Amino acid sequence: MSLDSSRSANSGPQNSKRSFNSNSSNNKDNSSNSKKRKSNQKTLGMAWGANSLSTSRSSFRSSPFSDFGSYMVEKNRKLQNQFDAEASNSSLSDTSTKPIFRGVSIFVDGFTVPSSQELRRYMLNYGGRFENYFSRHRVTHIICSNLPDSKIKNIRSFSGGLPVVKPTWVLDSVAVNRLLSWVPYQLDQLASNQPTLSTFFTSKISPASEGVFADAICEVKHGTEDLCLKDASKDAKFSEAGEPSEWRKKITEEHDELMHGNTNSKVIEEPSSSYSEASQEVKVVERSNLEQDDESRENNRPQYCPEQPSASVSSHCFDNHSVKGSPHSTALGPLKQCHSTLGDPNFVENYFKNSRLHFIGTWRNRYRKRFPSLPNGFKCMNSHSDVSADTQKTAIIHIDMDCFFVSVVIRSHPELHDKPVAVCHSDNPKGTAEISSANYPARDYGIRAGMFVRDAKALCTHLVILPYNFEAYEEVADQFYNILHKYCNRVQAVSCDEAFLDVTDLEGEDPKLLASAIRKEIFEATGCTASAGIAVNMLMARLATRTAKPNGQCYISPERVDEYLDQLPLKALPGIGHVLEEKLKNRNVRTCGQLRMISKGSLQKDFGFKTGEMLWNYSRGVDNRLVGTIQESKSVGAEVNWGVRFRDLQDTQHFLLDLCKEVSLRLQGCGVQGRTFTLKIKKRRKDAGEPAKYMGCGDCENLSHSTTVPLATDDVEVLQRITKQLFGFFHVDVKDIRGVGLQVSRLESVDTSKQVLERNSLKSWLMSASASSEERCDVSSIAKDRVGTDTEGKSMGGNSGVLCTDPVGNSVLRTNNTSNGDGCSNQILSIPQLCHLDMGVVESLPSELQSELNEMYGGKLVDLIAKSKGQGENSTGSLCFHPPELSKEEAERSHNSDPISLSRTAVEMMGKQHILEELQTVPDSGTGSNSNAISIQALDNNDLMPSSLSQVDTSVLQQLPEELRADLFESLPAHRRQEISTLGPNRDNLHHPLCINQPESTDSGLTNNLWIGNPPLWVDKFKVSNLLMLRFFADMYYKSKSAENLSSILQCTIAESLHPLDAKCDAWNEAVHSFNELLMEYIKLKIVVDIEEIYVCFRLLRRLSTKSEFFLEVYNLVFPHLQDLCFGKLNTFLALEFSILTSLH
Amino acid sequence: MERKDNQSPRGHIAGILVEFLEVAITSVVFLKGIYSPGAFERRRYMNVVVQRARHPQLRDYIHSAVSGLLPFIEKSSWDAMWKCCPSYWFYENKVKRYQIFFEGLVERVAVIFFNTDNIPVERFMFKLTVNQSFDSKVEESDLEFSLRSFLIKLSVSQPLTKVLPCDCRWEITAYFRSLPQVRNSKDTELWISTDTKQWQQPPLITPIKSMNSEPLGVQLFLEHPSPSEPKS
Repeated sequence: MSLDSSRSANSGPQNSKRSFNSNSSNNKDNSSNSKKRKSNQKTLGMAWGANSLSTSRSSFRSSPFSDFGSYMVEKNRKLQNQFDAEASNSSLSDTSTKPIFRGVSIFVDGFTVPSSQELRRYMLNYGGRFENYFSRHRVTHIICSNLPDSKIKNIRSFSGGLPVVKPTWVLDSVAVNRLLSWVPYQLDQLASNQPTLSTFFTSKISPASEGVFADAICEVKHGTEDLCLKDASKDAKFSEAGEPSEWRKKITEEHDELMHGNTNSKVIEEPSSSYSEASQEVKVVERSNLEQDDESRENNRPQYCPEQPSASVSSHCFDNHSVKGSPHSTALGPLKQCHSTLGDPNFVENYFKNSRLHFIGTWRNRYRKRFPSLPNGFKCMNSHSDVSADTQKTAIIHIDMDCFFVSVVIRSHPELHDKPVAVCHSDNPKGTAEISSANYPARDYGIRAGMFVRDAKALCTHLVILPYNFEAYEEVADQFYNILHKYCNRVQAVSCDEAFLDVTDLEGEDPKLLASAIRKEIFEATGCTASAGIAVNMLMARLATRTAKPNGQCYISPERVDEYLDQLPLKALPGIGHVLEEKLKNRNVRTCGQLRMISKGSLQKDFGFKTGEMLWNYSRGVDNRLVGTIQESKSVGAEVNWGVRFRDLQDTQHFLLDLCKEVSLRLQGCGVQGRTFTLKIKKRRKDAGEPAKYMGCGDCENLSHSTTVPLATDDVEVLQRITKQLFGFFHVDVKDIRGVGLQVSRLESVDTSKQVLERNSLKSWLMSASASSEERCDVSSIAKDRVGTDTEGKSMGGNSGVLCTDPVGNSVLRTNNTSNGDGCSNQILSIPQLCHLDMGVVESLPSELQSELNEMYGGKLVDLIAKSKGQGENSTGSLCFHPPELSKEEAERSHNSDPISLSRTAVEMMGKQHILEELQTVPDSGTGSNSNAISIQALDNNDLMPSSLSQVDTSVLQQLPEELRADLFESLPAHRRQEISTLGPNRDNLHHPLCINQPESTDSGLTNNLWIGNPPLWVDKFKVSNLLMLRFFADMYYKSKSAENLSSILQCTIAESLHPLDAKCDAWNEAVHSFNELLMEYIKLKIVVDIEEIYVCFRLLRRLSTKSEFFLEVYNLVFPHLQDLCFGKLNTFLALEFSILTSLH
Repeated sequence: MERKDNQSPRGHIAGILVEFLEVAITSVVFLKGIYSPGAFERRRYMNVVVQRARHPQLRDYIHSAVSGLLPFIEKSSWDAMWKCCPSYWFYENKVKRYQIFFEGLVERVAVIFFNTDNIPVERFMFKLTVNQSFDSKVEESDLEFSLRSFLIKLSVSQPLTKVLPCDCRWEITAYFRSLPQVRNSKDTELWISTDTKQWQQPPLITPIKSMNSEPLGVQLFLEHPSPSEPKS
């Protein structure tokens, strides 16, 4: 859009009347300005706007006008002329725009985004008018983003009764290329104050015009016998009754169908209702429907029938009880417009909930989360296998569940096992639904996936159609992979029911026996059969499975490969689809044997380099792919092309929002953000009729637009904005849209700190843990604690602090698992090795428990106890956390210093059951990091010792019996002395509550990460602190609005702390120190980039220091450091009060 | 203030920055009341009200000073060591001069107010960080939003500043990270050395505004001589 609207700003009439004579340089300047502005008009809004008061005044002084009024008249006239001239210019230059704003004349009041100059340009381009000065006669709309209170109160005198509209109205209108109603864009300030009649109408009318909602209103009406409502619904129906003839026809429909119709609308409301609930619902509805029916026949026969439309689909809908039910139930009769996407406000969500492809697609993420250990362990092994590949015969097993989607569903129905069964999302009597999977008996009848139900029924009249059961699929898929991973750690997942296993390394195991063992176990665990193919490479293994099916296994030895391939139809090869097959058929090639006759060069010439090579290789049974991990996905997206029908733009926007939500969820699920966004639209071809498949997309053109943004995102709102914008590029009648897809590519993985944020990961981990066995529930709750310790140990580098539970730990834990490579969360629990037991703890157990433990260890325990008696003094060690070791070696169980972490408190308080569980579960995680709430450690573990008591969870401490606590406190200083001497001064020390006077060691060399994460680490640290002050401050973090800035938190603190915060406690110094540390890190973080923030923080701190002794001390301590840093980094000092503040008292 | 249509994002940012500096420096000069208010007129920039110099020489001075920086903001490496400086004479017998130490890529741009002894009384320091590696498209609305906050804050920061002695003068100074190479280029011909003295002690700073939106970081702070600065 080349446009020079800005020219008016500079070269307007008032400019020429400047009081000083422009000299040459000024002219040059002006012209260069306007030239420049042409190019960047859009970027910076208006540069040096021209309508300033001073200009007009000064020009007025030197003007020939008699008074201001006449001057203004003249000015307005000139402005108008100028506008017209520009408008005609721009419309000439830009023919693609249509004058959507014809008749609209806007006046922009105050600050707007976009600026008034940009709005003016829109007006200019789209046939509207722009008034520089308000006039009731010329202006039709007032545009503003914000109004002062005085204008709000006196809106009429301000606006003269004209609509006051937000600038987005103009933008959105431009975006969709037609004039939108201004009503939804009314200024919020006004709209909320005074609901206008028009807003009332819009909210009522729009639902009323949809059959389903009208339906609901009808029910209410007849149920309550309310006259007013009755009238309202009549109106509603009236407005809906677009085709009266249709309605009349439908009156003849039968009563019970009406009933079903109503049932449907109920089912929508409770999509999760079970059969029993649904049937109950029927009864209720039936009654109301009877009433409704009778009454309506008496009252308003010709108008009545909103239930009607759904009648045609009602029966199957009910049967499905909301498996795909919702979109159906909202559908009107066939060949009528079907507002599937309209009637169901959660269409997108339900759509994906019921989509099998979606299940398969999202399953990968789930899988990857469950077996995160793979990528690392894999790579090194791959390289190993590269070397060994030549010398050693590879053995690949391809394993595939037999008709997975059916057999999972029928495993609980043994009577159906030998009956033909198919899975399909709906069992509609019309039979236009597609079968997605059929079992072998059904396949014998010629029933195939993708077939319409009616065709299938024609082939086999007693075919049983069952709906999906996604939970069961998930469960079985998980079991399936658990088994595979148990046997082999080189698993490549192909789909939820299909995988490759590389068993080359499992020497001494016959792959055939292994395969049958796996199959047997799968059958025992899941009740479903699997088939396996065994061969030297992935291709052959896959082909072997084909022969093996159903429920069998097949081994193709390298010698037999050629023989096997000879007669193999080409279609069976992976990578050969219809098109390629056709092409080859035309050359009279039907089998692999025939394909082998063609030279590689010739194939590459005809089919391209890669495809040619693939054909050549595959026909010879050569496949160089290695069994690897799942490929990183290149794009994430969601597409809906079933049941998409829109009535107007609003529906579309609603739908797009839902789609964005879905995509955003998927992005988050994968832990990635994307930069390129592609919106695809399926548009009905002009001549295409209603598609054969019910609510399908039929014959469509595919359109797409895409855009790239600089910063990767997964934010719903950003997605929505982009999508809206992209959608604006399509000039499509929304009624013709049959499918919409949003694809996000150029993915970037969310950086670790953000990924930690993601709650999903923790949740999914815990969930998978809890799924595997009951006991794991316990573990997972403990795991949280453990996670906390992990984090601390890692990120603080041994720095003392207060225990916190932090989501970071999750990833830590996972990496531990990774390095261990044994997928520990799914391992069966085992008792810890004997050497891992802390004898001190064991001794303190009740005698019957001891004997039980002894049994578990086969009697060895008693000896050990006896032995340990001698050194018993030692092991009543200090109470502290064991910082977990993250390096691999140390994580190994065999490590001597691996502490036994058994909660003494727990031992004393919990029942025997729990103790046993803990004994089992704690060491189970397989790493050294299993320090439980409190670990009692032997003193000889000094290199693992944490820094101080401050790391101990004080709540646990408090629960300890008195003497034990004293004992611990006593032993602690001794330990600390030792620790200091062994570890030297590089270890950071805090005051700990018991020896406050201990000199504070310097922490200059320390770099911490208190500000990393969201919420930052310190928040969690402070939150669990035993110091009131710190806890209070952590609370402030949550209260403040923009919490990443310390200043806002401090501000909040000032506002909140009305009473003096000081309560001199034991841990005063510790609190001061912790806080200092926090501040120092913040200063280091911000001093280079945001000195302002530091400045504000310190001003706030000073204010706080007048209130609180605590902050005074903090301020006095940190301020010199701040100035040091300022001098170091900026060669300046911050101009705050220079002196150190003195104490208040 | 020339901006080409198809610029690299970096050049684009530099263009915006230079334009912003011109406006901000004008606002600083207005704020300090060196000239009578009549020398300025109200304009809108980035949708906020700002001041613009009406006198062509004043405007030219500011404009040419900052636009002279443009190539140095855009470029990233410098070697040679020299300075040059043009001088301008302005009306009301006040000598205005600007001096640029060529220390390479522009690190800071200062508006220095100094007394008759050439001793700085107050400095408005714009500290710039342009991320040269940033090459994708800039989210201009964000940038605009951040820069606008400077102008708003600047207009209310009068109380933070010192009252200037009468007869004071001012200049625009740019601090470079290293010296430019191009000896004969026109860009550098304009510059002369300055006789403005420097403070002996590290100054005291009062931050006014900071922003950091990815490719561009700007911090504005006031600098005053340290109390221990020897009075001459």
